[in-house]
Amino acid sequence: MNYAKKLLAEVGLEPERLEIFFLSSAEGVHFAEIAADMTERARQLGPNPLKKIIRGQTMDTNGG
Amino acid sequence: MIVAQQKPLEEIKAMIADAQKVLILGCGTCVTVCFAGGEKEVAILASQLRMATRLDGNEKEIREFTVQRQCEYEYNEMAADYIRDADLIVSLACGIGVQTVNEQFPEKLTVPGLNTSGLSQPTEQGVWVERCQACGDCILALTGGLCPIARCAKSLLNGPCGGSQRGICEVYAERETPCVWDQIYHRLKELGQLDKMMEIRPPKNWHPSRDGGQRKIVREDLRL
Repeated sequence: MNYAKKLLAEVGLEPERLEIFFLSSAEGVHFAEIAADMTERARQLGPNPLKKIIRGQTMDTNGG
Repeated sequence: MIVAQQKPLEEIKAMIADAQKVLILGCGTCVTVCFAGGEKEVAILASQLRMATRLDGNEKEIREFTVQRQCEYEYNEMAADYIRDADLIVSLACGIGVQTVNEQFPEKLTVPGLNTSGLSQPTEQGVWVERCQACGDCILALTGGLCPIARCAKSLLNGPCGGSQRGICEVYAERETPCVWDQIYHRLKELGQLDKMMEIRPPKNWHPSRDGGQRKIVREDLRL
């Protein structure tokens, strides 16, 4: 996981976008908490800049 | 094996800056085994470059191919179409592979994605330690099988020197690098061959090493 985060940082993406959690299928509450935390983290970081660029290019193409 | 490490991504990005179609060419032999330039590393670098160049606003077409052995023409032929179609090739092979591809496909520039760093042994998972400097005149029979050329910071032939402290070399002492001459002494002692340390020997022949310029082996019995 640390290696994958390092790869993202080198590229210029926030490593915080990636995380790994260990939990069993019996931990529904914990799963919901993690999902909420990661959703909040993603909101704070904003949209994936790579997607933004792809969308921008698509729109330009359509417009042309 | 020959071991290497990938160059920093920024350095690779700078090398490919003027190219649009880039081929990442891996090698399936030594650099695959040391996790530096095999199929997996090619895929990771290609993904990184696709993302990084897109973020920089200059997205490039990055293609991938890995040959079995980049230091031999026959294997590189399998990548010929990919090589000819690219503006630039980033080789994830050792320095031999990079030069072979440049020689074989002179119309294209092939740049190194790795820094080749030696002939090493994987001493544990994720650790490679240099064991041989390919000096061309092996003396391992005299030193209990431990190479003072590669493993002594000074490549001494009459060690240990005064910098050997409790079996640790003073160079990079914080890394606890063993003094190879201390190791040689103990090994020869175990083998009952300490007399080898007392023998007066003529200077080592450095001609087969770098002192003689570029080295070449010719085996007439194998030539076609």
